[in-house]
Amino acid sequence: MSPNKYDVVIVGSGLAGIVAANRLADYNLEVLLLDENIHIGGQILRRIPQNLGVGAGREPSQVRRIGFRFIESVKEKKIRVMNRTKVLGIQPEGELLIEEDEKRAYTITADIILFATGARERFLPFKGWMLPGVLSTGAVQILIKGSGVLPAKEILIAGSGPFLYAVAYEFVINKGTVLSVLEQTMLLDNISLIGRLLYQFPKFTEGLRYLAKLLISGVPIRYGTQLIEARGDTGLTEVVAARVDRSGRVREGTEKVFKTRALAVGHGFVPNIELPQLAGCELEYSQDKGGWVVRVKDDLETSIERVYAAGEITGIGGALKSITEGNLSAMGILHNLGKVSENEYISHLQRLSKERRHHLAFGKCLNTLYKIPHGAIRSIPDETVICRCEGVRMGDIQKAIANGYDTPGALKRILRVGMGTCQGRICGPVLYDILSAYREIPAHDIPPFSVRVPVKAVSCGSLIS
Amino acid sequence: MTEDIMEELRISTVKRTERIRISVNGRETYAYKGETVLAALHAAGYRVLRRDKNGQARGAFCGMGICYDCLVTINGIRNQRSCMFEVEEGMEIAIDEP
Repeated sequence: MSPNKYDVVIVGSGLAGIVAANRLADYNLEVLLLDENIHIGGQILRRIPQNLGVGAGREPSQVRRIGFRFIESVKEKKIRVMNRTKVLGIQPEGELLIEEDEKRAYTITADIILFATGARERFLPFKGWMLPGVLSTGAVQILIKGSGVLPAKEILIAGSGPFLYAVAYEFVINKGTVLSVLEQTMLLDNISLIGRLLYQFPKFTEGLRYLAKLLISGVPIRYGTQLIEARGDTGLTEVVAARVDRSGRVREGTEKVFKTRALAVGHGFVPNIELPQLAGCELEYSQDKGGWVVRVKDDLETSIERVYAAGEITGIGGALKSITEGNLSAMGILHNLGKVSENEYISHLQRLSKERRHHLAFGKCLNTLYKIPHGAIRSIPDETVICRCEGVRMGDIQKAIANGYDTPGALKRILRVGMGTCQGRICGPVLYDILSAYREIPAHDIPPFSVRVPVKAVSCGSLIS
Repeated sequence: MTEDIMEELRISTVKRTERIRISVNGRETYAYKGETVLAALHAAGYRVLRRDKNGQARGAFCGMGICYDCLVTINGIRNQRSCMFEVEEGMEIAIDEP
């Protein structure tokens, strides 16, 4: 085969991508694994390059141990890996426009494409969230796990859902001080849901371990508490938080000030659907799956023939779901290419689909914990910046909605919201929530931003080359 | 900057091998092989990385290459995401002064 033509191109080398690559390579297929990051493994398998197999001086979790073995076997097998490579565009007939090492752009051809592009974080904007010192929870974890560096000695962690505890745990075991964890949802709502989770999913005990460590370390956890403002001149110096009621509205007079140079924020995850969207794959909206996801058939083929999707982009559900879907998509692809018998295909499909249903049920609970109530969206003050790139404020957006600019696309054209370098990846999901809350219509009636080539920022030099 | 301060944010249980010389706005400092430019900047005490078009100080946010908030100049090439590069011997990093 020519160097730029492959049987299968896998976009994203997280768990789903590396599991699928491993399985496909066993059938003598030319597989290319692309990833924008420096190392393969995606977000969950980040580690310090010098400490292969040991994450930030601690034993890795079981899921990480499994993942590291998949990375090793990708390296042993005949799988072409291209790191620091972005996919900028998808053309019909399986042509992908890629940019290598921020320098060179060219096209490659794939008989089959598998998207395993993962997820990013969801945020609830507040006043001052652009100040240096305000980081995403994911950024804190990446600094710790990927580079062995704490962003500061002391940190405040705020948002919603179990990932807050995971990051707080990581911070504490590495000798950092967590001033407090501020959880937006109510303790009672959490207890009933967590009880159900523990019963159904033994995996959730991992979360209890985090919680126990935080309690032993004396980290105060405040439920029903939301960020009001981050303050500072050229960087964060203090944070104001207040209690909220069940509908997400702030209770006047409950404000509390924290002195801190670092604040980590996050409200769960949203799927990275932009590339499948560009390829023309049908999307579906599901609160249980974490928002807009790629619609897939039983074997994870999308609405476009010979294009598959696996992992978080078919529904936020965590590492085990990604492993299952890596295997499931590989079986679908092998069947499509006539590499496995009908019987083998069906028996694997049944087993893996059952696993997948279990993981989706877990994901449903997870995504409920991460849900941002409409009351919280409606209480965002007018002066709060929603679009960090273009500096578009809540008041401008509300006015535009009242004037009939009532879709993400219309708001983008009139306000430039989502038109900056991140291309709406950070503000988009918030904007959909704002539209849903103010127009009082269900979220599935609000179409996501449309996407165009190049899907990610690219230098003119790359395109000229 | 003294060594104590340079190691303050580095997790002590992490095994570090190769120490690397880098410079930030012409000032000599060091980092360790495998660290991202962003991590090395944080460890060296730089959290303000640039001024946005309104003159506001900005630093890293998402840490995973999505938000484009952590842009710096690396070896003369502007607008590089500091979270998506690892430090290299002799790397020249330029940021906006706070």
